[in-house]
Amino acid sequence: MPTSQQLLLAATLIFVGAIVQALLALKSGAWKQGRAQFLLMVLGFALQTDFIYLRGKEVGQCPMKSLADILVFIAWSIVMLYFLLGSSFRLSLLGLFTAPLVSIMHGIALTAGFAPYPPKGQINALVELHIALALIAYAAFALACITGVMYLVQERMLKRHQIGGLFYQLPPIQGLAQAIQRLVWLGLLLLSISLGVSFALHLPMTKTGHVVFAWGVWALYAVCAFLMWRHFTSPRKTAWLAVIGFILPFISLWIVTHA
Amino acid sequence: MPEPKDIRNGLVCVGLNYKTTPVEVRERLAFPESKVPDAVQEVRGLPGFEECVVLSTCNRVELYATHALPSGDDGHAALREYLVTRFELQPEHAEALVLYNLDSAEAARHLFRVVSGLDSMVLGETEIFGQVKAAYKVALDTGTTSRALNKLFQQAFTVGKKVRNETTIQRGSTSVGSVAVDLAEKVHDLKECRVMLVGAGEMSRTCAQSLLSRGAKSIIVSNRSYDKAVELAAEMKGTAMKFDEWEHALHEVDVIISSTSAPHFVIKPEQIDQVMRKRRWEPLLIIDIAVPRDVDPAVNNIEGVYLYDIDALQAIADEGRRERMRQLASCEHIIEEQLAKYGFLKPGGGLVPA
Repeated sequence: MPTSQQLLLAATLIFVGAIVQALLALKSGAWKQGRAQFLLMVLGFALQTDFIYLRGKEVGQCPMKSLADILVFIAWSIVMLYFLLGSSFRLSLLGLFTAPLVSIMHGIALTAGFAPYPPKGQINALVELHIALALIAYAAFALACITGVMYLVQERMLKRHQIGGLFYQLPPIQGLAQAIQRLVWLGLLLLSISLGVSFALHLPMTKTGHVVFAWGVWALYAVCAFLMWRHFTSPRKTAWLAVIGFILPFISLWIVTHA
Repeated sequence: MPEPKDIRNGLVCVGLNYKTTPVEVRERLAFPESKVPDAVQEVRGLPGFEECVVLSTCNRVELYATHALPSGDDGHAALREYLVTRFELQPEHAEALVLYNLDSAEAARHLFRVVSGLDSMVLGETEIFGQVKAAYKVALDTGTTSRALNKLFQQAFTVGKKVRNETTIQRGSTSVGSVAVDLAEKVHDLKECRVMLVGAGEMSRTCAQSLLSRGAKSIIVSNRSYDKAVELAAEMKGTAMKFDEWEHALHEVDVIISSTSAPHFVIKPEQIDQVMRKRRWEPLLIIDIAVPRDVDPAVNNIEGVYLYDIDALQAIADEGRRERMRQLASCEHIIEEQLAKYGFLKPGGGLVPA
């Protein structure tokens, strides 16, 4: 196994460790987003970054072409957003909910394998920007999905009067609803810029399937954002939209990379 | 004035609390806040005494001191005599006075338990930590502490923090009022929380006060007797509303506490269903303290509405108390570890004798 993949495997194990640590702490009833959880996330992120750097050197370009590479890049973006949004939204359990998703994405990537790329003549910075922004937007949608799961869990506990360990760790339900909206708006903004760049690149939509799918994802989240903005849907339905909605970008990645 | 060579030597604690002494005696022996600086000076001025901290709360009066008297019993007797004299107790009251007299490691263990909330009426409550800190600060500012008590109290604060950080002794709610606050905190940001009381019963008043003390933004009081609503609203710096108008304010509030004496449901699903659209789906917490209930249980089926009746609140409070009891052994274990670390326990176990 190449060094880069060894690093990715190590990162995956660390994220799994973060899940186990948090679950054990939750079970004992003493979970807090302590230093251990944060350090594990930092360490996992550092190894992810190292993997992307080495993988980029291996393929001689930004590693964002194969499904495996795209999944790792999105997973990396999710963890980056987790650090950026964690403090401002105070989603104290975001780490616990983020680590499983990132671990699954790494698992799929490692199983799918990292094939070599065809050589690229010249690197166009705008193309790389277009792809990177789209993938970071997908990461924001993934975080909206995670926050949606948190909302649904908290909502269920409040409705059923299940006041237990996890209940005390989750943020106010109103804050979660707002966080979903902000993450959807953030993703939509990044995806809009990415698609704006595709216009500058004169990428014909008919020949580049991923742009078509990106427009599909954009349309889906634009509708979600509009419904949220006009308060046409309840926060619970919004949370479900954020959770189920993420399936489309996830599937689109699969289709695009296998087309 | 000679300083004790060791924190364990000459340390005494004499006190009374809610377990040993009824409130009518405790209130007679309580030091008013303004008199505590004088009290610590007076104790330190007693023959043979070197340092002193006085802790006086509604649930306890405790004197921590170091002395150079021949024995701990002499220290206890002197402090007892001080209390009797200071509060001018009649001989029969003085004789009936029940105090706990602790020495050295026993006193340290007691202080560690007090700071950690393990000796409190509400197990694990956090207020006592601040009260001990305040008592220590008064003594420090007055100059009645030195090396021994400074070290002991710093150790106590470290232990208190450790107990709270490493266990969940303070987590969960143990009273209906605190359950209401916990629930409100999980639905809204409390600082933005607007509360409405429908009915002005004693229990709803307690819940509302708990919410306000934790930072709730505003309160509206609606009651069949408008005068009573005005009186309660004034007390809570809120707004009074006539009883036939409370429905109009539903879209403006985040928490409703209902406690009318109506024999039928006062809050019905159709009223809340309508208002949720007007509220743009902002979540609504409804606490129904009334018996018979004021709120139709079907209200809980409406999206974004979370209804808790008195039984649900009581069940959560009971579970909170049980959870704290389950944590007690872990807390005691931490305290024993820390006593050993600070040299209050013998290597083979047991307290180091005074």
